[in-house]
Amino acid sequence: MDGAIEALYIYDEHNKPLLTHTYTSRPLTASQLLPLYLEHPVPRPNLIYLPNTSPPTLLFNLTHSNLLFFITSSSEIEPLLALEFLHRVIDILEEFVGTPLLAQKIEGNYEIVAQLLNEMCDAGSVSTTEPNALRDLVEVEGFLGKLLGGINIPGKPGFTSNSSTSGMSGISSAGTLTANTPALPWRRANVRHTSNELYVDLVETLSVTLAPSGRPLAAFANGTIAFTSKVSGVPDIILNLSTRSGQQNFNHVMELPVFHPCVRLARWREKPGEISFIPPDGRFVLAGYEVDLLPFTNGKSGTNASNLKLPVNIEVKTSLGLTGSDFEVRLFIMKVSGQGNSSLSGSSSRSSSQVGGLGRASSGFSGGLGGSGGNSTTPILEDLVVTIPLPGDVRNLSEIKASRGDTTYNPGEKNLEWHLPAKDASTGGATLRCTVVGPLSDDNFDGNGFRLDGYYEEDTYQLAPVKAIKTMDGTDEQKDLKKVALNKILMPSSANVSFAVKGWLASGIKVDSIIIDTRKSRGLGDGVKPYRGVKYLTLSRGGVEIRC
Amino acid sequence: MSGIRVPVISQIVSLAIKKGSGDMSPFVRKAAALAIPKCYRLDPNTSPQLLEYLSALLGDKQYYVAGAAVKAFMEICPERIDLVHKHYRSLVKKLVDMDEWSQLATLRLMSIYSRKCFPKRTRRVRKTNGVQAFYEDEEEGEEEETVEVVQVLDPDLELLLKSIKPLLQSRNSAVVVAVARCYVNLATPEYISTAIGPLIALLRGPQDIQHIALYNIVSVCITRPEEFVKYASHFLVHSTDPPQIWELKLELLTLIFPHCDAHIKSLILNELEHFSRSSDQELVREALGAIGRCAQSDARTSARCLRLLLNQITSLDGNLVAESLTVIRHLIQQDPGSHTNTVIRLAKNLDTATNSRARATIIWLIGEFAGINGENNIAPDVLRILAKGFADEAEQVKLQIVLLAAKVYLHHLNRSDVSIEVKKPTSTVPHDHLPIEGFAEMDESNNLDPSQQPEPEHPIASLWNYILLLARYDTSYDLRDRTRLYKTLLAVPSSTQLASLMLLAPKPAPHTPSPSESRTGFTLGSASLVVGGDGGLHGLRGYEALPKWIEAGKEPDPSLRESDTTKLEYNEKRVIPAGDRLDSAIKDSGLSSSPSKTNGVGAGGKKKTLDDWLAEDEVEEEDNNVDEDEDDEDEDDEDEDDEDESEGSDDESSDVSEEEGEDSDDDNEHDRLVK
Repeated sequence: MDGAIEALYIYDEHNKPLLTHTYTSRPLTASQLLPLYLEHPVPRPNLIYLPNTSPPTLLFNLTHSNLLFFITSSSEIEPLLALEFLHRVIDILEEFVGTPLLAQKIEGNYEIVAQLLNEMCDAGSVSTTEPNALRDLVEVEGFLGKLLGGINIPGKPGFTSNSSTSGMSGISSAGTLTANTPALPWRRANVRHTSNELYVDLVETLSVTLAPSGRPLAAFANGTIAFTSKVSGVPDIILNLSTRSGQQNFNHVMELPVFHPCVRLARWREKPGEISFIPPDGRFVLAGYEVDLLPFTNGKSGTNASNLKLPVNIEVKTSLGLTGSDFEVRLFIMKVSGQGNSSLSGSSSRSSSQVGGLGRASSGFSGGLGGSGGNSTTPILEDLVVTIPLPGDVRNLSEIKASRGDTTYNPGEKNLEWHLPAKDASTGGATLRCTVVGPLSDDNFDGNGFRLDGYYEEDTYQLAPVKAIKTMDGTDEQKDLKKVALNKILMPSSANVSFAVKGWLASGIKVDSIIIDTRKSRGLGDGVKPYRGVKYLTLSRGGVEIRC
Repeated sequence: MSGIRVPVISQIVSLAIKKGSGDMSPFVRKAAALAIPKCYRLDPNTSPQLLEYLSALLGDKQYYVAGAAVKAFMEICPERIDLVHKHYRSLVKKLVDMDEWSQLATLRLMSIYSRKCFPKRTRRVRKTNGVQAFYEDEEEGEEEETVEVVQVLDPDLELLLKSIKPLLQSRNSAVVVAVARCYVNLATPEYISTAIGPLIALLRGPQDIQHIALYNIVSVCITRPEEFVKYASHFLVHSTDPPQIWELKLELLTLIFPHCDAHIKSLILNELEHFSRSSDQELVREALGAIGRCAQSDARTSARCLRLLLNQITSLDGNLVAESLTVIRHLIQQDPGSHTNTVIRLAKNLDTATNSRARATIIWLIGEFAGINGENNIAPDVLRILAKGFADEAEQVKLQIVLLAAKVYLHHLNRSDVSIEVKKPTSTVPHDHLPIEGFAEMDESNNLDPSQQPEPEHPIASLWNYILLLARYDTSYDLRDRTRLYKTLLAVPSSTQLASLMLLAPKPAPHTPSPSESRTGFTLGSASLVVGGDGGLHGLRGYEALPKWIEAGKEPDPSLRESDTTKLEYNEKRVIPAGDRLDSAIKDSGLSSSPSKTNGVGAGGKKKTLDDWLAEDEVEEEDNNVDEDEDDEDEDDEDEDDEDESEGSDDESSDVSEEEGEDSDDDNEHDRLVK
């Protein structure tokens, strides 16, 4: 039952084998595998079973920043184990070799990559994947080493003295710190920084589905708390989160959390909203959670669409114009109030009450972004892109008129992108009107139209109070109804909105305080007051989808 | 060094491992544990020694050493669960602290171990209805008990289940699925429902993880759909989802469909309807199939589903129409009685439907319903109308028309046979009128001439001949052949048995199972589950299903898990010679850092000298003989302590009042409900 990861392959953007790392047994070569992979039709599943190889092989694949990663195993293995491992490999390569991961970088730092891969998986079973532990084990030399070393200032015994193969002895002798405490597998020994900093990034990715009427069907915010800790010694940190309604029923707001192993789960269970942990050094993902933005609609035919506040409202009308060949997308950009928690900076604001007070006082007008990014007082909407996938039969878009922003029509991918740069994305409405052109020959229309999906007017969503589509159709009735119906086939059936808002979270969760528990932490000099910063970011990567 | 693949050095490596496993530093011990499988691969002959080291390492105090040891254990000797007994509790307690990959290995080990070592008390009551007489006794005993008692888990198993609960919040999706697997396979429903939320949380992950997680969710959902209802909105399909994902999402929606309330049901149906209009043909097919499955699973909404599907057939999109008709046909076949009106409605659509596949399906359906209601049937009229345009139809449709004609004619013959037998006379006149009436109701648009002249020959017969004539001069061989077949079949009007057998045979209602049902046999979280049938009937190479629950009475003695010193020689399959055990014990106590493999937390609490240990061992071995004899009774006693009397009543029917008998009846009923 125990499957082993047999080999790891990396291909570059031209599918040229870049690296093969064999862990155990005799796997296929990279050049043998590639055609087998490519013969699967796109989109390829991430787990492909190759029954015709000898031995039959499971191929896990992942594409990351144009590089193609493979893992093979010839026997039963937990697929999630393999995929998680692949993700870890990518994360760690990025950390060591640098983002973005490029073929040249991997080639250039081959010795580091090889060491890493060796340490991460031992004879087919995954072993050390914590970046901190790996940092101790793997020697990074030259320019990159200096770069990495520069970040983490001197005095790292594990870093310089250890050979890659037997780093253990180095750690165990690394001093009293590790000897008398239960060693933390995720934290390096003897971390030292000259400037002590703590950053919290709360990133929420929206996933919203809207009915044609604009009523939300489902709305979730998938949150991630990324933590960057650059603090000497072994700090013990308490992060307090709160929601709009305060501390209570936090568990109902923040659903299904997952945590980094460093988080004390018992603490969370007792006091939801309070995360107590000893952080690894550097940047890591502290927790993930999910917020149902429509908490009350489940089970009821809810009318509380107003609960959902998005920075962008979108409306799509199809089958406009004389022949019903136009569609229109309307955007309403709203102003969102800031998260109301500007930087927690300043060594003075150590106590939680002070920080909280500051945050609350500034709420409403300041959505400042602690560390970096735009320091404006209001959250900014950025990278606003509306993507409209078009049916396969659309031959061209003869007319694209946008009141603001730029449009791009990609005939290959059959979609239309509408970019609204930040300067254009001020509050207010914007419209985009397009005319579609269908297949050339009209015979296709009048024949049995096998490939076309036309639809007569049927109420798509009975729940929907208003039917936007219907309005125009009534007036067009005297026109060529058939043509309208046929053009309807060419209408997009959905539109996706992507954007990024800094300084605003859809869920309204905010960081109340970051406290370093001085009693429990060690190695942090007295009077050292780390700089603390909080950043909020709401993302939608095509996650807001409206049906029409 | 163990990485050097030269068999000659295996002894040296083994020696090094021995040294390493006794090292002060936990890191060295961990490295030693990791080297064990490599050494084993190098030279399998070293396995006795290696097992010895491994057994010591399994009990290591440091969690990362134990974790690595478990990995090694799973690699070289997963069947030797006897080695685990004494470390079971400590391993379970360390589980939370291990790194993710060790957690995976340990969870795998624990689910196998639990299956082998904890007899299943819970399901025995529910499912095994007297498979063995031995069980029957017990069952009756337990039926007297309350429900709570029924669900009692072995305390050690419960320890495991409780301790892995925090792992549900792990960031590693594989761990979450592994915990879910443990719960699904080992635990009571309460535990399983705690695992469902975290499973859903996996859908937040990147696409690949999402994909695999969905397979696992589907497989859990097939058995327990109710629990997933509240997460219905998580399964809404996004337009950006690749096919693998929406396929599974649609399946999930249909699975939970019968358990939803009205609001979510309409949400799901709307969702499906939306996707049935998509431009992706595959998606259209899946969505319509999903609607069909929804209708199948819930009779109350099937009318709505059908309406939804019927709306689609007016669409211009031939593909959509054809797909929805196929689904409609399945639905109608499942419950033909109540759908006569539907068929009439479909028949009306023959005017507008252009897709040949769709037309063929409709005609076939009409043919199936030709025999209902005697003469008041639309089939002959439909046939008549179709006959007009016969030449313009596609071949597929022509075939169905001929078939329809044959069926109609056959029904006609059968009827006239009956009527001739009853009373010879002129039954032609009523025959004429009734169909016309039916048709007039059915369809006005076809400008039927209501004053159809009664002909000397019955109209159906003449229609039949006309169709035969038309088909005879068709260009298609197939069509001509079939026509000839039907013609000869129906040539002799008096003997229609053979034709009836052929044409009117009852068709089995097609059942469309959920696509993933074929994979449910595979263990949760395995690659075989994802690959499904392609991997062969028994899964991929190396796939092993979880062992069956061990029978009650055959499980190892729980006292084995008490502490490290109780090494009872219980079964014959335990093969470690006493010397080995002595050795390892000595080594254990020789380890300066971790001699204590006591029940866990109290680290270093219980130190025993070798003498103590030996003495204890002897005593327990003596005990063991007795234990073995009583073993079977032990089991029963626990369950039946209280019910001894009633038990007696069931078996021997001696001195029991009738009230008690009634009580047990009630309980029986109750239990049946539970079942």
